[in-house]
Amino acid sequence: MPEKHLSTQFDSDLDKISSRVMEMGGLVESQIYQAIYAMSHFSAESANQVLEIEIRVNSMEIEIDRELASVIARRQPAANDLRLILAMSKTTANLERVGDEASKIARMVKSIIDSGTSRALPSNDLRVAADLAAGLLRKALDSFARLDTSSAVDILKEDDLLDQEFDGFVRKLITYMMEDPRTISSSLDLLFIAKAIERIGDHAKNIAEFIVYVVKGTDIRHSSMNDIETALR
Amino acid sequence: MNAGSVSKTTTDAQRQARYNSRKRVNTLALILAQAAMAFGVFWLIWILLETVRLGLGGMSLALFTQMTPAPNEVGGLANAIWGSVVMVVLATAIGTPIGVMAGIYLAEYEPRGWLAETTRFVNDILLSAPSIVIGLFIYALVVARLKSFSGMAGVLALALIVIPVVIRTTENMLALVPAGLREASYALGTPKWKVITLITLRSARAGVLTGILLAVARISGETAPLLFTALSNQFWNSDLSKPMASLPVTIFKFAMSPYENWQELAWAGVFLITMAVLGLNILARVLTRQK
Amino acid sequence: MVETANAPSASKISVRNLNFYYGKYHALKGINMEIPAGKVTAFIGPSGCGKSTLLRTFNRMYGLYPEQRAEGEIILDGENLLTTKKDVALIRAKVGMVFQKPTPFPMSIYDNIAFGVKLFEKLSASEMDDRVEWALRKAALWTEVKDKLQQSGSGLSGGQQQRLCIARGVAIKPEVLLLDEPCSALDPISTAKVEELIAELKNDYTVVIVTHNMQQAARCSDYTAYMYLGDLVEFGETEQLFFKPQRKETEDYITGRFG
Repeated sequence: MPEKHLSTQFDSDLDKISSRVMEMGGLVESQIYQAIYAMSHFSAESANQVLEIEIRVNSMEIEIDRELASVIARRQPAANDLRLILAMSKTTANLERVGDEASKIARMVKSIIDSGTSRALPSNDLRVAADLAAGLLRKALDSFARLDTSSAVDILKEDDLLDQEFDGFVRKLITYMMEDPRTISSSLDLLFIAKAIERIGDHAKNIAEFIVYVVKGTDIRHSSMNDIETALR
Repeated sequence: MNAGSVSKTTTDAQRQARYNSRKRVNTLALILAQAAMAFGVFWLIWILLETVRLGLGGMSLALFTQMTPAPNEVGGLANAIWGSVVMVVLATAIGTPIGVMAGIYLAEYEPRGWLAETTRFVNDILLSAPSIVIGLFIYALVVARLKSFSGMAGVLALALIVIPVVIRTTENMLALVPAGLREASYALGTPKWKVITLITLRSARAGVLTGILLAVARISGETAPLLFTALSNQFWNSDLSKPMASLPVTIFKFAMSPYENWQELAWAGVFLITMAVLGLNILARVLTRQK
Repeated sequence: MVETANAPSASKISVRNLNFYYGKYHALKGINMEIPAGKVTAFIGPSGCGKSTLLRTFNRMYGLYPEQRAEGEIILDGENLLTTKKDVALIRAKVGMVFQKPTPFPMSIYDNIAFGVKLFEKLSASEMDDRVEWALRKAALWTEVKDKLQQSGSGLSGGQQQRLCIARGVAIKPEVLLLDEPCSALDPISTAKVEELIAELKNDYTVVIVTHNMQQAARCSDYTAYMYLGDLVEFGETEQLFFKPQRKETEDYITGRFG
């Protein structure tokens, strides 16, 4: 929040939590990039990295929530402070889920490596989508830090694109599976990974929705794009 | 700067020295104050002891049943006591309502208006006016006109002393009632006169009563105004249009005389008045404490 | 400009263009507001913003002090309280007030309650007993004092005295109850009891409460008005005002960004 409270302690508490959230976001982003690398280079090492970071991410979620509860207990925040605290709690939850999805991808990659299946499947498309999703998350976190509502709408639209990409990828996989039933099991693995990437995009979208919640006080979850644009006017 | 511990002990020593000198000054002042108090109390106690010693001896039933005698005859102070009682009671009865109502006006209605300011100013003058002046005033107004001394004139003079005292204490006591109490009463829809009588006055009643009692104590001992108004009377008199005996005037007459029985009676009278005033003061204290 | 969030329910008191002066000092500037009937409305704002001043215009309390004057309209049940020819005591019987400092009258608890009632109603002894009991029950004080009704009111604790004053105000059955920082002199438990009371009172009365404790306003009221330096900055439903105020000034105040 741009302006200072009369209580500098309150300000420093909030700043501390904000930077923790950003730190967690950074960790989760690195999980995604490691998972993408593991996927495109079939690297077991990177996959293991992802799983190591996961432990840290989970404990951060608990710490941040505890600090948020402490602020609520001590400060009885109102208006924008209240919305910010609620949004940070939800953002943390979304980030933790993103970490889970990255871990799922890493585990999937490991099991593909272990099972030694074919490496000639369109993991390139996945790579592109994964980069998109990671970029979306970065954008969401940046906009959250600046409480920029205009980029929030962009993020929502980009997630729609990501969802469309996902649908396209599923259709592709179905054609592969229909052409050659021997590719079904590895296709399913890739579907699994694709779903995880699509969910990462959704979580980024959630974070963006909370930006609008903090700034405007309107909850735009589950609203149509029309309603959203009216709310932001 | 020296090492921390060294400068600390030096300052401690300085502090101790200053404390000791302050303590000395304090003790000196305390001794002086107590000496002053002892000095004042000493005289008071001596007066009381003398009064008791000289007056108690003259106490008897005859004091209350027999009239003031001629010199060297047996007698009592009955008519003087009666006269004092009558005049004090009447003066209080006249002066108190006027004083209380004026005090209410000053405290509750227009406390800063021109009439209030003027009244306060005049009241303060009257309060500190020598009682002999008041006596002379009534003399000129009533006694000279009617060409006779009378108990009524005495009552009027005493009333004129009661009024300023009661006005002052009533106003002060009413002003001490917190504004919040009045506002709470108004907020219920109470009309002004009821707020004053049922709430404000009631809240201040101990203080107002004390003021009245103190006024009574004062006029019980006033001599000068009665000299020019009620004069005195050797006999029992209940007629206010005639001169009336009173304790203070009788004491005045008897004390300076060369006759021993008169002097004895004078001391007895002094004792009576002192006891009465003492009793009234104690009563006033008791009343204020119970609040 | 005033932001009014939603149209509240029926208005009990309508304030139109109210200006108030302490001598030359312009304390309230063009206040317009509607106090909803049967609800609790809270006035909040920093010291000197005029919230107590505004409250005290509703029962013409300022009339006790010659240098204070009000201009404008305060409409209660169709008539303008500021210019009505009716006896001001009747207005105060309709619009009761409880003050910050508990002020029990110098009489017994029973007489404290009966005092106001006797001013306007002629009740038999048993009817008066019933009314006193009813008022004390409403103030959640009955069980604590029912055996000592003849004792002086000043013998009660601070919290009890304040509830006594509330019972006193309620006993005359006003239509509107004005509370001027009723809990600021009380400990937290007494405060909580009084707040419980306020929640119950709004079933029968329109309540307006001035408080410098924002959390209290947030807990107790249905509508909140934020005032600053004699202006009404924002008026709206409490939930909305504390979640997302419409004015930045309001948000700054309630989040402690005032400075």
